[in-house]
Amino acid sequence: MTRLPPRVIEFLQGEFLASTRPFCFLVDKNYRLIEAWGDGNWCDLGNVNIGADMLERAPYLLGSLDSVPTKLEYLMIGDDVTVHVHAIPDDDGHYVVLLDAQSAHQLLQQKQQSVNELRLLHAQQQKLISRQRELISELVETRSELDHHRREVERSSDNKSRFIAMMSHEFRTPLASIINYADLAAEQDATGNEVQKSIEAIQRSARHLTSLVEAVLDDARLDAGELELQECNFSLYELLDDLAAMMAPLAAEKGLSFATQMDRDVPEILRADKVRLRQILINLLGNAVKYTVEGSVRLTVSYNHGRIVATVSDTGPGISPDDQERVFQAFERGGRKSEQGAGLGLTITLRLAELMGGEISLDSLPGEGCTVSLHVPVQEVVDGYEPSAEVLPTPAEDTVATMPRSILICDDDEDMIALIEHYLHRSGYGLVTTSDSSEAIAKTLKYDPDLVLMDCNIPGISGVDAAMLLRQQGYQKPIVALTASQLSDVEKSAFTSYFRKPAKMQELLLAIKTLTH
Amino acid sequence: MTVVTSKVCVVGDFAVGKTSVIERFVNNQFSDKYLTTVGVKVDTKEIEHKALGISHKLVIWDVAGSDRFGHIELAYLRGANGYIFVADGTRLPTLRAARDLYQQITEEYGSAPCVLLVNKNDLTDQWNVRDERMEELTAHFGNTYRTSAKTGDEVETAMTRLSELIVDNDFRNE
Repeated sequence: MTRLPPRVIEFLQGEFLASTRPFCFLVDKNYRLIEAWGDGNWCDLGNVNIGADMLERAPYLLGSLDSVPTKLEYLMIGDDVTVHVHAIPDDDGHYVVLLDAQSAHQLLQQKQQSVNELRLLHAQQQKLISRQRELISELVETRSELDHHRREVERSSDNKSRFIAMMSHEFRTPLASIINYADLAAEQDATGNEVQKSIEAIQRSARHLTSLVEAVLDDARLDAGELELQECNFSLYELLDDLAAMMAPLAAEKGLSFATQMDRDVPEILRADKVRLRQILINLLGNAVKYTVEGSVRLTVSYNHGRIVATVSDTGPGISPDDQERVFQAFERGGRKSEQGAGLGLTITLRLAELMGGEISLDSLPGEGCTVSLHVPVQEVVDGYEPSAEVLPTPAEDTVATMPRSILICDDDEDMIALIEHYLHRSGYGLVTTSDSSEAIAKTLKYDPDLVLMDCNIPGISGVDAAMLLRQQGYQKPIVALTASQLSDVEKSAFTSYFRKPAKMQELLLAIKTLTH
Repeated sequence: MTVVTSKVCVVGDFAVGKTSVIERFVNNQFSDKYLTTVGVKVDTKEIEHKALGISHKLVIWDVAGSDRFGHIELAYLRGANGYIFVADGTRLPTLRAARDLYQQITEEYGSAPCVLLVNKNDLTDQWNVRDERMEELTAHFGNTYRTSAKTGDEVETAMTRLSELIVDNDFRNE
């Protein structure tokens, strides 16, 4: 290749020198200026003197002077000053050449700015895509949870329907019995024996109805988390004796043998919720007796590291593996649909056991009986227990009025009035009755009875409002609520005392005597 | 007071806030506007170590962010006495880039005092670096700081620490 014509070279050199404005200087190894060529004003190096410390004026020289020629492009050394630095070693030191690169730098900066902004956008896009994937994943999870909840609601709705159907049947049967036997007893030609049998049948049906209602209420309380454990110290021996006294006759009625056995190492006195433990064991034993046709029912109790293990075993028909899970679900009887009951007993039993921190296990095969074990934590009590002396007052002594007292009864159910009237009259109280709340207010203010017994859910003014009105009118004697409704704390505060129907008559009479004497 | 001068290089992925950190350190200023650095921007700042009787002049080379292939112009780093690695706490890939750069530089020029600044600590809702990861980074880089060029958090502390490391490494035995 031939050399470019001198004229062209000269022209290009001129162009290069004009655009890059070279400034050249020679420094020794200590960065002292030996000599300088060209105009250094544009790169802030004008007026430099021979011998000056160039590191002061051009700190970028530090580390940039090598034993071989080096080129550093695009050094921004000041506002709007960008240079290419060439460092060429020589015997005396280094020649340093600065070339103006500001224009080229600006162009390059604009290009790189666009590229980097695109890269940032891309990075943000990737983040958004990643977040979108996360959201989709969360959405899928939420949907799955919603499906789960929907199935729960459907199951709950299904349970509710089954509950209503079940209750309709279960309540109607004892109700029909009560109504029919009551009619029979009321017949004019009924003999004394027939009346007595009718009353016994009515009592049985009423007790059955009460147990159904209690089961439903327990289940609802467990659902609402309102059922609280009440721990106390008690004798497990006494509890077992009590259960044996209750169950042995029922077993004997069916020709079954019944036995209880307690290991020697079971502590006599324990601390736990006695009422709920008793309820669980009655349920398990009751079921065993109910479903066993012949053979035996047995309760054994052992103690293991702070837990009692109560095992109820029977020689009944057993439960198939398929049915074993279902018997603990609400309204299930493991295929034994002909039996009475709400189908809540085992559900409540299991939930009570869990509430007490325990568990229930079931071991059974069809035709080979059934063994249910309750494991529940208890505290051993060394002292601090006195056997409960359940002293129930004799009605004749403790419920009879010992001085003249009058009671106003307000209830819209005439039978209920008649019943309460009967007991209060027998206890020696003077009575005023009414089925109307407005009339109750008027009669109370007129006769000033020593106590008002008020139903709450009555036509017209409610019992709660009537009680409040009486207080406003200045009546200061006790007002006792007797109602089938659940009252709020505010509503209860309108009354001196509060009884839920069906109240135990003995307790009601005792309360009335206490409040009026 | 003895004046000593050192060259320190600021390196890291693009748009992690290298220039902003130096602008905060040198001029105590901050701008939200992103301006790409092309080549290298040179600044100076002195830190006094009164107990040592040393005024440490740092010639700071703010090197353009690594390109899309993770490369930077290594010629700029020749003769550096220390390094400031910068990553963005809201973009995890920039942490990986800092580690890759550390390896490249160490292989080319050997080890030198350094600090890692995990920047943009003010963007709390976008912050992506868990404490365990910070501990891993500290184990790797030795001195790691959660900085914010916007608020100035930890910037001065990190630069002072680097200065101490360089003084200790280059001048204490002289």
